[in-house]
Amino acid sequence: MNKYFSTKTSIFVFASPALLLFTVFCVYPLLPEIWMSLQKHDGFRSMGFVGLENYKDVIASPSFWKAHKNTYLIVGISLLLGIPLSMMLALFMEVQTPKLRRFFKSAAMFPAILSVTVVSQIWLAFYEPNWGLFNSILKSIGLESWTHSWLTEKKTVMPSIGLVFLWQYIGLNAMLFYTGIKTIPKSYYEAALIDGANFVQVCLRITIPLLQNVIKYVLILSTLGSMAFYSHVRVMTAGGPGDTSRTVVYQMYYTAFDTSEFGKGTAIAVFFIVECLVISFLIQRFIAREKLEF
Amino acid sequence: MSLKSKSEAYSNPFGIPQSWRWGSFGEALSKYNYFTYLENSLIYTLGTIVITLTTGSMLAYCLSRMQWKFNTSVLFYVSMGLIVPIEVVVIPLFQLIKLLHLKNSYLGLILPYSGFAIASCVLMLYAFLRSLPKELEEAACIDGTNVYQAFFKIIFPIIMPALVTQCVLIFIRIWNEFPLAFIVASRDQFRPLTVGLLSFFVNVGVSDWGLIGATMFLSSLPMIIVYMVGNEKIENALTAGAILK
Repeated sequence: MNKYFSTKTSIFVFASPALLLFTVFCVYPLLPEIWMSLQKHDGFRSMGFVGLENYKDVIASPSFWKAHKNTYLIVGISLLLGIPLSMMLALFMEVQTPKLRRFFKSAAMFPAILSVTVVSQIWLAFYEPNWGLFNSILKSIGLESWTHSWLTEKKTVMPSIGLVFLWQYIGLNAMLFYTGIKTIPKSYYEAALIDGANFVQVCLRITIPLLQNVIKYVLILSTLGSMAFYSHVRVMTAGGPGDTSRTVVYQMYYTAFDTSEFGKGTAIAVFFIVECLVISFLIQRFIAREKLEF
Repeated sequence: MSLKSKSEAYSNPFGIPQSWRWGSFGEALSKYNYFTYLENSLIYTLGTIVITLTTGSMLAYCLSRMQWKFNTSVLFYVSMGLIVPIEVVVIPLFQLIKLLHLKNSYLGLILPYSGFAIASCVLMLYAFLRSLPKELEEAACIDGTNVYQAFFKIIFPIIMPALVTQCVLIFIRIWNEFPLAFIVASRDQFRPLTVGLLSFFVNVGVSDWGLIGATMFLSSLPMIIVYMVGNEKIENALTAGAILK
């Protein structure tokens, strides 16, 4: 029957539309991107082939490395803080009564479905220096000296934006962990209880090792998601003050569209794509081990 | 916040409003092209869903069921699409869209969105289709149906649960997509809600929080309604992806 169904025509009809769309819009743009990064280009026409000149300029510019620091700060926040916190949230949801659990599940997912613009605008109001929520709270409990103009001070701006990102996606990750937890057979826990294990031991010895697959999925999702971090910065600070809160993707946009240096902009993009490839390769290589059977 | 007067929004921004004012909503609706943006967002999202699910499920079917010598290489090729974020190819994508004369048309965003959504759609449906028994089409084959009828009449209804999952994932992703829409949809009449909202905020400035609150609420409303109605389904759909992989 497989012979009967898989004629050349039917394979062509089934495979070509998706492959065409994928190739034209997802793979093909990489070629002009690489080509453009080797030229001096203002977005409309090329002003000559310059070889690796753009790459040299980009690597020599301090803004580029500052942007890297910011991007990896966000990656660090979402991996080192976000994943453990959402895991704790998931473990916490697991021990609630069904009614409370329903509430937590809905509340956890809610920020993730709001649009970036709305989320950023809400937090802009929280961070507002004169009447914003944080400064009002700090003033009312007498910690006047701790108040900051959160988004315009160089020291506080990146952690503040990172917190927004963390808040928006922590619940989604917790939900993913929670569903993973539900697939673990109950008998494991019963056996552990008979052996006299406490809650923390159960989590460390049973739940977390058996969640390996979900952890891997969330890890890849949050790493690549936070690598491409851009929209929140665009809405909340537009990269400011100065260039302190630009991420790599923001730096790329800024170089290309705001200063019309498309050659350099695409050089940043190519550089960054290679980074993404290397990082996903590393995750696959060192964290993705074979499946645990249970 | 949207129910407060301008001065109250400053003196008491996070408490319950002292006098309820619905005026902000009327003002928001008249100043802000809410319905245009809403319509655009819906067109982009639904267009992407329809195109991605049809083409993606066909490719997934082809890869999982048909005898084709490039099966594994095509699967690998498509899975590369998961790694490259749409943000980093915005510049050449923008020029490609201009070149194809798709700028300032709905397809200018729908087609790239679909191209980027296909990778995860194909991989997930591929895993799902492989778990289905082959007898399904064998029966159809004996009845004399051709492959197209077999796909649309037998396979399509069976993979519905996986399609719903993808539908939800794409909806959340495209409804909130920002970077590409920000660059491509430069004309106001083609802007989706996310971008329209930002340019509106930039125009109002930070002075009128009542108005900003009202537009924020209006923009989130469709999503909130969808979420309240299908909350269980969305949760199941989102988490199904994690377990399959």
